Amino acid sequence: MTQDITVTLTVNGRTVTRAAGAHLSLLRWLRDVADVTDPKYGCGEGVCGACTVLVDGEPVSSCIVLAAQVDAAEVTTVAGLAGADGVLDGLQQAFLEHGAAQCGFCTPGMLMAATELVSRGVRLDRDTIRGELHGNLCRCTGYQAIVDAIASVAGGERG
Amino acid sequence: MFVKPFRYERASSVTEACALLREYDGEAKVIAGGQSLLPMINLGLVDPSAVVDISRIAGLDGVAERNGSLDVGALTRHRALEGDALVARHQPLLAEAVRSVGNTRVRNRGTLGGSLAHGDPAAELPLAMTVLEAEYEVSNGNATRTIAAGEFPLTYFTTQLAEDELLTGVRVPKLPAGWGWGFHEVSRRPGDFAVVAAAAVVRCRGGAIEDARVGLAGVSERPVRLTSVEAALAGVPVSQIEDVVGEVDAIEPITDTMASAGYRRRLARVLARRVLADACQRSEGAD
Repeated sequence: MTQDITVTLTVNGRTVTRAAGAHLSLLRWLRDVADVTDPKYGCGEGVCGACTVLVDGEPVSSCIVLAAQVDAAEVTTVAGLAGADGVLDGLQQAFLEHGAAQCGFCTPGMLMAATELVSRGVRLDRDTIRGELHGNLCRCTGYQAIVDAIASVAGGERG
Repeated sequence: MFVKPFRYERASSVTEACALLREYDGEAKVIAGGQSLLPMINLGLVDPSAVVDISRIAGLDGVAERNGSLDVGALTRHRALEGDALVARHQPLLAEAVRSVGNTRVRNRGTLGGSLAHGDPAAELPLAMTVLEAEYEVSNGNATRTIAAGEFPLTYFTTQLAEDELLTGVRVPKLPAGWGWGFHEVSRRPGDFAVVAAAAVVRCRGGAIEDARVGLAGVSERPVRLTSVEAALAGVPVSQIEDVVGEVDAIEPITDTMASAGYRRRLARVLARRVLADACQRSEGAD
């Protein structure tokens, strides 16, 4: 009993309207229907954070949100962080400078979680950053550099 | 991730949602935040014919103060509860419990009603509601009924909700003046469901317990109140909590990949003592 449903989302500033399976998660809708492949499929349970995107500014696990449920929302993925001219935003630049990516699979989710964290506008120490990011797993265990990168943007100390 | 296709129905009222649930005759699942249902669907543990989306029904979210209680809408998201001023002031145990739920993303989407109706025996919020003696408002679109939080869960992932019923709201009594609270859990990783969680509210005076309620999650098929411990605590000096809590017999922990039954028993004992001690300290401090 398949049902197609029309969903319109603003993805990184671009309005996308597609009719697709009503059962599709936001992640599958983005990747398979809208060709937005930067959010990654990791666990399917909302635990690993590789699929993190911002929906109306809030981080969500796009693998456990239905596209149909967030119809009309504004979605930001990691591809939406850099400027139109390709210039990286502050967090992306910090990740680059600190070597905060090894295999890179967790990076799109890490950056989206970090983006919302930094947008709260409060000074973040390393413990707070670690605590807030406990839902984003890096299986290369490259956490040290990731925390360094975020701390360098959010005013925390190195070390 | 192969997911068997299902239909999507968006309800704009409780009446419509319940009618849809009847129409699908037990084959549809209710979805709000989806933070429990969609992982189960992705893992192939449930394959509904349809989901009935109640997340856009108006008037079912938010916290309001009414006659000594907090009325919390079922669609209130964890993140909203976490930062709610009324909850922080009048029922800090609930604020603490909700901070232990999942990760930021789960708390952004997940709802109070969803967590309670999901009925995970290790979940924080059903435990908090049991100890706080909250009441749940339930509707089938035609009639409503009220169910005590402690009687709502029946067994693993099973509650008193009929197939065409929705949990619409929760009435949480405010913590009375002079009472203190305690909440602790042990989980394998931050954000995981608890291996064991404990919650208590206590009224203490002059170093002795006058009244106590204490409960545990993760040690039985549903959250349990330690009623015999509660009765035995009345009149007992704070220094003797450990003796009264004893071995915590009223639980049936299981062994699984997270912990052995024996370790759960030990956690139950330690956490029960700890939440009672915290609650006493806060009670005395509140005087």
